[in-house]
Amino acid sequence: MEVAEAKSKKAGPRQCSTCNERRAALKRPKTLEQICRECFYAVFEEEIHQVIVENQLFKPGERIAIGASGGKDSTVLAYVLSELNRRHNYGLDLFLLSVDEGITGYRDDSLETVKRNEIQYGLPLKVVSYKDLYGWTMDEIVKMIGLKNNCTFCGVFRRQALDRGAAMLKVDKLATGHNADDIAETVLLNILRGDIARLSRCTSITTGEDGPIPRCKPFKYTYEKEIVMYAYFKRLDYFSTECIYSPNAYRGFAREFIKDLERIRPRAILDIIKSGENFRISTSAKMPEQGTCERCGYISSQKWCKACVLLDGLNRGLPKLGIGRARGLNNGLEKDSKQTNGTKNIQSKQCGTLDF
Amino acid sequence: MKICFLLRVALQFVHEMQHKAQKNFDASRDRSLPVFGVGVAFIDESAIFPVPSHEVDKAIQDMNLIVSNLAPPKKELHVVPIENIYSSDSSDGRSRLKELLDAVSDATGKEDLRLHLRMLCLQKIAFENGYNKLVLGSCTSRIACHVISATVKGQGYSLPADIQYVDSRWEIPVVLPLRDCLAQELNILCRIDSLKTVEVLNGSCSGINGLVSSFITLLQEENPSRECTIVRTAGKLTPFHFNKIPDSLDSDVHLASQRRHKKFNIKPNKSISPESFCPICNSPLNKSDMLSLSSLESCQMSADTFGASCCPSCQFQILPKDSSSMEHFCSILPQPLISRAKDGSCGNQSWLREQIQDCLLSDSGDET
Amino acid sequence: MQLTLEFGGGLELLCNSVKVHNVTVDPQDGEEKLTMKKLLSWVRTNLIKERPEMFMKGDSVRPGVLVLVNDCDWELSGQLDTILEEKDVIVFISTLHGG
Repeated sequence: MEVAEAKSKKAGPRQCSTCNERRAALKRPKTLEQICRECFYAVFEEEIHQVIVENQLFKPGERIAIGASGGKDSTVLAYVLSELNRRHNYGLDLFLLSVDEGITGYRDDSLETVKRNEIQYGLPLKVVSYKDLYGWTMDEIVKMIGLKNNCTFCGVFRRQALDRGAAMLKVDKLATGHNADDIAETVLLNILRGDIARLSRCTSITTGEDGPIPRCKPFKYTYEKEIVMYAYFKRLDYFSTECIYSPNAYRGFAREFIKDLERIRPRAILDIIKSGENFRISTSAKMPEQGTCERCGYISSQKWCKACVLLDGLNRGLPKLGIGRARGLNNGLEKDSKQTNGTKNIQSKQCGTLDF
Repeated sequence: MKICFLLRVALQFVHEMQHKAQKNFDASRDRSLPVFGVGVAFIDESAIFPVPSHEVDKAIQDMNLIVSNLAPPKKELHVVPIENIYSSDSSDGRSRLKELLDAVSDATGKEDLRLHLRMLCLQKIAFENGYNKLVLGSCTSRIACHVISATVKGQGYSLPADIQYVDSRWEIPVVLPLRDCLAQELNILCRIDSLKTVEVLNGSCSGINGLVSSFITLLQEENPSRECTIVRTAGKLTPFHFNKIPDSLDSDVHLASQRRHKKFNIKPNKSISPESFCPICNSPLNKSDMLSLSSLESCQMSADTFGASCCPSCQFQILPKDSSSMEHFCSILPQPLISRAKDGSCGNQSWLREQIQDCLLSDSGDET
Repeated sequence: MQLTLEFGGGLELLCNSVKVHNVTVDPQDGEEKLTMKKLLSWVRTNLIKERPEMFMKGDSVRPGVLVLVNDCDWELSGQLDTILEEKDVIVFISTLHGG
């Protein structure tokens, strides 16, 4: 892209509003400032550092797993966290943690990206596979159940797989790449589905502190646009193919709505998060009591955890077992996704990358 | 357009209640249940929208016909131009109003300001004509839109205030009897009961509100219960203490309603601290947003202090950014908004005084 | 006019999985300059092989697709009105794929 650099002369007066020297390279959605690449890197990293410090996401000496899918968010997170850890002496032991769902032509490729990241950023990588944990790959599951509800299996399994991987790494916390757009979308989705318990939790920067491995989201206030711009300018190596088993999963109404909003009012994304943080929700409407699964020992409010119920169905050749819902509220939504399979849906990342 | 058939159903409903009450009154000797009076208010916004005057005249004529065709007791129709929010002696209300709206650069902010002014106008009509309640025709569909757009504007804290059946933070308490009815249902009801409706051009939604309303329409097409779910979710948020009929209302009325619903007895909760309200949109302010306010000690109202007393959403989408435009903006605001800001900034001290007085004089003790 | 067009973030899948396209696009008859608006409609007709709605909405890119002209955010150069010159490099990146 050297040619492009050389051609900057035609850009004329668009100077960086921070350094007043270099040519502006992007307009920040958060502040509407025009800013050059170097100042953008600095402010992007500094803001994430501030979020980490103000919210006390990490303590010195902690072991932290970064949930790594090979996608843009987790790739930038791995890069920025290792950078900040060095720069500000966080004193953290960082690890990459990936889940291999066993999806040929998708996860095997994205895992190659994560393996390159392992070398590029010098972070040890742990891969946990569905095959090892559950005895099934997603390819096998889809062969058995078809393309309906496969995302339910995948989502439930992934959540548990990450926890199990984190336990194997003996980490204190799991950091995920959820960005501001993701969180704004989740706030809206929880309103649309009537899930007040999740609505009260989904804007928390740290969750699961009562569970085995707390999770945190250092990108809670980071715009997706800036993450992609950062990855592009820094030439970070990421994987951007959609999952073959949830084609068009990203075509959700809610995501599209967020992007439409961003176009006319970029601050709407942060305003939605702010609304989510300020909702008056009485603490009595909290989560069901947590116990442990009688079968595998994982946290569960029921006798068996969701993964064990689904797995039992698979192993007995009755995969529909456990798909029906115990709770009434979400019924409507799950039905929708069955009916409108392949067409637009209110839920965008049904494949479970948005589990909170 | 919508608001009209919504209002039409609300009118029919209130009318039927009144009609029943009248019959009961005529039949019984118990004169302690007086029949309530009903009036209809229409805000003429042609000062803001260039609607051909004959269309407005036609709409008003139709409304007149609908109202006068209802069985007795007779209902008054108040047609009031929106510029009436400026005191009636100032003849330049229309141009001041235009100037005020022109000063708002954000399309959504302009639209929202217009809605706030309309409410102000309705309150004024209700107050001046001695009404005790203001009935709005907001239905589930409309409230679902409000839930999402308030969320998008960062007003999650104040949202529950706007979507309850009762909202008595206003001088005249507002009630929303159609909260649980879908627009489609109301539309059908109007058709099968052949309730005549009136269409008034109210300008199309643009900006955030327009985006939200087409989003909701899309979701509703995908799942016909989506609007209900949205309102139900928001209904689980904790309402404010003013989301019930205040105890201090005309004691006759209160007594009467207590007679009707013997078990229904609301006691005011005196222990709750008072809310502060945004002078523009009247939404309760979140404590964390009020930090900037605490530094303002005097009751003197400058443009700066006015700006600081507004909610973040109004600050962003309605108030001008530079101080000289802000100065001008404040100078053309309708008086009630300015006094709301003044009350707000002095409110805390006076409340404290009241509390202390209560303690000094109180001998019943158990109420606080 | 010679231009280099790059598709990333999954958008390449819409044009036969080819990321970089060296193309020649000329202003339409009667017009002297080529704008982004014209280029987008050219791309839609000539490069996008499937699901054009993933790339465009109305006469602009779909919200969520980032555009850079010579490595500069097109929001700084006037978006659809950006005037293109010989040898410009235009990059389209979708933010909507993957996490």
